Amino acid sequence: MGKRAKLEIMKDILEIIKKNKNSIKPTPLLRKSGLSSASFKEYYVDLIRRNLVKEVINKEEKFIILTDMGFRFLERYRSIVDFIEEFDL
Amino acid sequence: MPPINFLLQGNASTELIYSFIIIICSLMIYHATKEMYQLSSYKGIKYFRQAFLFFAIAYFFRYSIKFLLAFFDAKGILETSPMFIGIISLFFYLYFTSMAIFYLLYSIIWKNNSKNSRRLFYIFNIVALVIALVGIFFTGPEMPFILNIILLIIAFIVLLTNQKDYKKKKERNLFIIYTLLFIFGSLNIIDILVPDFFQFFQMALYLASISIFMIILYKVLKRVGD
Repeated sequence: MGKRAKLEIMKDILEIIKKNKNSIKPTPLLRKSGLSSASFKEYYVDLIRRNLVKEVINKEEKFIILTDMGFRFLERYRSIVDFIEEFDL
Repeated sequence: MPPINFLLQGNASTELIYSFIIIICSLMIYHATKEMYQLSSYKGIKYFRQAFLFFAIAYFFRYSIKFLLAFFDAKGILETSPMFIGIISLFFYLYFTSMAIFYLLYSIIWKNNSKNSRRLFYIFNIVALVIALVGIFFTGPEMPFILNIILLIIAFIVLLTNQKDYKKKKERNLFIIYTLLFIFGSLNIIDILVPDFFQFFQMALYLASISIFMIILYKVLKRVGD
């Protein structure tokens, strides 16, 4: 998997959360992402580490929501990809 | 002795304006790409940004002393230890220019070399140090001149081998811009090491170098502003 594909997968995961009214449980997110559970875990940890998503507990259940940076990432995604292509990075 | 006369030659104000524009362009590129890197943590953007930070530092050293002389009347600095200041400035200028060129190249090729990145960074530092040391210790300009030509050829080969599809307009433009950037980077080093080398074309060299940085800045701002 190329490095740019990694950015695309991150964007897809964030979009799933956003489309789900910015609140989704981990299991449906895994299912909708189409990734293997090992691969999903890797991305999930990475997204939390980068402060693009965060976990919230509501009525003893864990939900995943986008942070402000997560929303900003989605806004800027096209520009970031175009920039990477423009300078062949 | 090392060519410390680069601090004293030519029109100080022209060179100050020239280096000031390059520093501003480089820092604007570095700053404009900050958010993109913070959001994506994409390594190619990181190396690209660092390359322009190194260009800014290199040009800061190139004429920082001239700035002191021109605006603060700090001639005492040069009178007390001209050799030391000249050598230090030249050393850092050569080191950071070489590092900037290496990082810009690496921003393009890192995808195929990410496993060797640590080793490559050691090599970049060692080669940049060798270039800087040769620049300050060799009495004649021949050796630094040859080293820079070798560096330029290596950069050109890396660019050429990385070229995936020359027919694509975008890739062709980038190839031309980077080739020109490396050529003018090397010519700037030669301009310092061989003081009279470009005596009639110095202004053309400065204008061409500024134009290349401006084009890159324009391309960056165009994408960042999208």
